[in-house]
Amino acid sequence: MAAPCRKVNYQFVKRSLRCFEPRVIPCRWSNTLRNQIVEKHRHSPLSSTRELVKQQDDPSDVLVPREFRFVHPDFLPYPIWNRRDRVREKLEREDMLKRRAVLDIPEFYVGSIMAVSIADKNAPGKQNRFVGICIDRAGHGLNHYFVLRNAIDGQGVEIKYDMYNPLLQKIEVLKMEKRLDPQLYYLRDAPLEYSTFRLDMEPVPISKGAHVPLNAIKVKLNPRPWSRRWERSNLKGVEPLDDYITEKMKKQKQHPQIQKTWEMHDLMLKARSSIDDREVDQIMNEVYKRKEKIQKEKLQKRGQEGKREGKKAQEVRR
Amino acid sequence: MNMFRFPVRNTPRKLKKSFGVGSGPAERIKKLQMLVTALIRNERLEAKESYCLETRGYAEQLIQIAIRNGDRHAETMEKADYWLLEKDLVHKLFKVLVPRYQNYTTAFTDYHFLPKKVPGSGVQMGILELKGNPWPPVVPRQRNQKYLLTNVLISTAKEEYRMEKKISPDLKNGTHDKLNQLDNT
Repeated sequence: MAAPCRKVNYQFVKRSLRCFEPRVIPCRWSNTLRNQIVEKHRHSPLSSTRELVKQQDDPSDVLVPREFRFVHPDFLPYPIWNRRDRVREKLEREDMLKRRAVLDIPEFYVGSIMAVSIADKNAPGKQNRFVGICIDRAGHGLNHYFVLRNAIDGQGVEIKYDMYNPLLQKIEVLKMEKRLDPQLYYLRDAPLEYSTFRLDMEPVPISKGAHVPLNAIKVKLNPRPWSRRWERSNLKGVEPLDDYITEKMKKQKQHPQIQKTWEMHDLMLKARSSIDDREVDQIMNEVYKRKEKIQKEKLQKRGQEGKREGKKAQEVRR
Repeated sequence: MNMFRFPVRNTPRKLKKSFGVGSGPAERIKKLQMLVTALIRNERLEAKESYCLETRGYAEQLIQIAIRNGDRHAETMEKADYWLLEKDLVHKLFKVLVPRYQNYTTAFTDYHFLPKKVPGSGVQMGILELKGNPWPPVVPRQRNQKYLLTNVLISTAKEEYRMEKKISPDLKNGTHDKLNQLDNT
């Protein structure tokens, strides 16, 4: 007896076959692998970031000067660890060193007076030169920038320069100095005399091994209104602000939510928002080595060129 | 090189209501101080998951800076004084825990999940402990006991007994029908 012929349920077949159809699965980071995953599947001890790598690249074998990390804060990576990409950081460092081999980027700090010339096709001579005091310096890797401030025609002018901008032609330090604060944005609310510098200022020489002088000047701010609540940020380079603020503001300043005393000893806050000391040592060690190597190569090249020129001169004489 | 030796969240847990309704970040730190102190004192802690994992970070950081800087470092001493509410634990930190964890390449603490109580509040509880503590282990160490001498002897005895039983039943009864049949054929 033949089996009774059943009606084929096409919808059922379709539904069951749907799993074999090619589908486009939208994935946010489809072209990248998360750092944690890569780290997890690394089997070779050489490619993983464990002790073996440390032993190879021991920071004790090269003596890096202690000030090196303060002179080159731009080499430090972004501190939030799960947004970091170590390969990109390394490539960026390499790029930065290559740029430094071409452009002389001197040592400077917040509070130093600098002159920067930048290519500008609309300016006469196709070059623009600006002199000012460095009021801020920030950014990680190739994104490092600094801000110069000067008063021009009775008007405060600030320019932010990306340090690794290829349009930069020259960076000079006219007066090497440090100030008491890490940022000098309060100069915006101070009289213009504090941020006025002559555009034809001559560089003040400083001997090579000397300490960087600290300018302990106390700026007297204008009366309120200010661009920020300066009374709340404990500024060191400013004269006491008690005359300018009301009793209520003084009381508010003492409020625990503004003082935030609990953040002082917060170990995890510090660990999350800064880079480990050992890693800084490692990076600085690597940068120091590469920098020395590049300088050697540069000197060798110069020597070869000098020899060639010498030979040419001899030939001409003959 | 990741400086954390254990999974860390990017943002801290707020630990709401750590000291009742209306407690904020100050109370959070206060609670964590107590938990860190308790952990260093007892070497084992049972609490909510979020409390355990927050405490873990602070305890690990404290031990790490103690290992790196030693007891002659002013800032480290200040931190130890702040985080350990019972002051005899400062001695324990530098004299017991630092030598214990000096050569560790992994985390200094362990975290274990506890089962949720049903019916209950449904809160995930956990156990946080310092590694190398004197307590019996949370997860019992499963050993393969098959090849212990007594077990080997017992198993062989059992086997012998079984073999005997296989051959003997017919002999004991004295009926050799099957054997006789085989012989005849």
